[in-house]
Amino acid sequence: MTASHAAVAERLSGRLLIAFTYVSVGLLVIGVVLMIANGISPLDPSPGLDLATLGSSLLALEPIAFLWLGILAVIAAPIGRVIVAGIVYASDGDVTMVVISIAIVVVIAIGVGSAIAVTF
Amino acid sequence: MVAGLLMIGGAAAGVFGALLGLGGGVLLVPMLTLGFGLPLREAVGVSLISVIVTSSAAAGVYLERHVANLRLGMTLELFTATGALVGGSIAFLLDEQWLSLLFAGLLLYVAATMARSGFRPAPEEATDTAAPGSDDEAERDEPTSTLERLSGPGYRVRRLGLGIVGATVAGVVSALLGIGGGIIKVPLMHLAMGVPFRVATATSNMMIGITAAASAVTYLIRGGIDPYVAGPTGIGVFLGATAGSRLAHRVDLRYLRLLFVVVLVYLAIQMLSRGLA
Repeated sequence: MTASHAAVAERLSGRLLIAFTYVSVGLLVIGVVLMIANGISPLDPSPGLDLATLGSSLLALEPIAFLWLGILAVIAAPIGRVIVAGIVYASDGDVTMVVISIAIVVVIAIGVGSAIAVTF
Repeated sequence: MVAGLLMIGGAAAGVFGALLGLGGGVLLVPMLTLGFGLPLREAVGVSLISVIVTSSAAAGVYLERHVANLRLGMTLELFTATGALVGGSIAFLLDEQWLSLLFAGLLLYVAATMARSGFRPAPEEATDTAAPGSDDEAERDEPTSTLERLSGPGYRVRRLGLGIVGATVAGVVSALLGIGGGIIKVPLMHLAMGVPFRVATATSNMMIGITAAASAVTYLIRGGIDPYVAGPTGIGVFLGATAGSRLAHRVDLRYLRLLFVVVLVYLAIQMLSRGLA
């Protein structure tokens, strides 16, 4: 790994994190504004995440859809950062860091899989 | 009304967190459970989302400025993520009373740590060595051994094995209690692994995102995140943390730290009584 590639990995990862943060906070702001406009209290029971209807709910300007999308974007930000860094490391042939990047994503995938297995 | 209160509470947690170098989780979880009556597990889920938001915002800047050590951070992240995976599963097996008692223990630990460092100067002033990520970076030699590859300009990483164990524990604690785990990771990297304080703080901040994300997916799928609460709280924490990071150099942290100790002890007593009820 050359120093310039290390710097590229850090810069790209940093920019991705900042961009994702602003997008996710923006989605949360839209969701909260719509929530208040629709008279929904944060203490009301909330509908669960339904990926199948998320797109149509967004088009219908339902607050819950923007909130769920914002939350998904929040969670995706650090995972995306790991993937981007892994790609930069791969372009430089740094096998160790590529393996570490893949392993982190695999650990999270196991978390998703085991939570789905327990829940459904 | 409640949305506004959640935003204000989140902003307060974000400001204090940024000023004192903590994630907002230590304050958020008691605020949501004691103040808004949320079940502890849901409060932890909401806190994890807020913790990721603040971590991503700060870590993005740290990475762009080359202050965080990406290689070291990613290596340890593999273990914090594994710990978080385990912790996230345990959290759904434990009774809420046990979680309350664990959280009370955490609050007392943080209070004791802060009380000890009460009037001491920030470690950054005394222990930072080289400015990581300076322009000298391009001139550094190609590293060879594992530890050298994880080291940065002006410092050499040591005791990687201890770092791995500590990172795993930090992951478990983070997932169980909805905190970033910086309270474990920063001393671990700085005191045990020889990483300069400023780099340790930045790297820990970066690692918090993936640690919290690893457990947040479990909370998300198992219904442990309430979007109506997470939305306003997350926005508040983001705004508070942004303001707090700008205020940090203008505030005398010694007195703030001591005030914070009192607040933490009070919250610990409340969580204890909840756990013992």
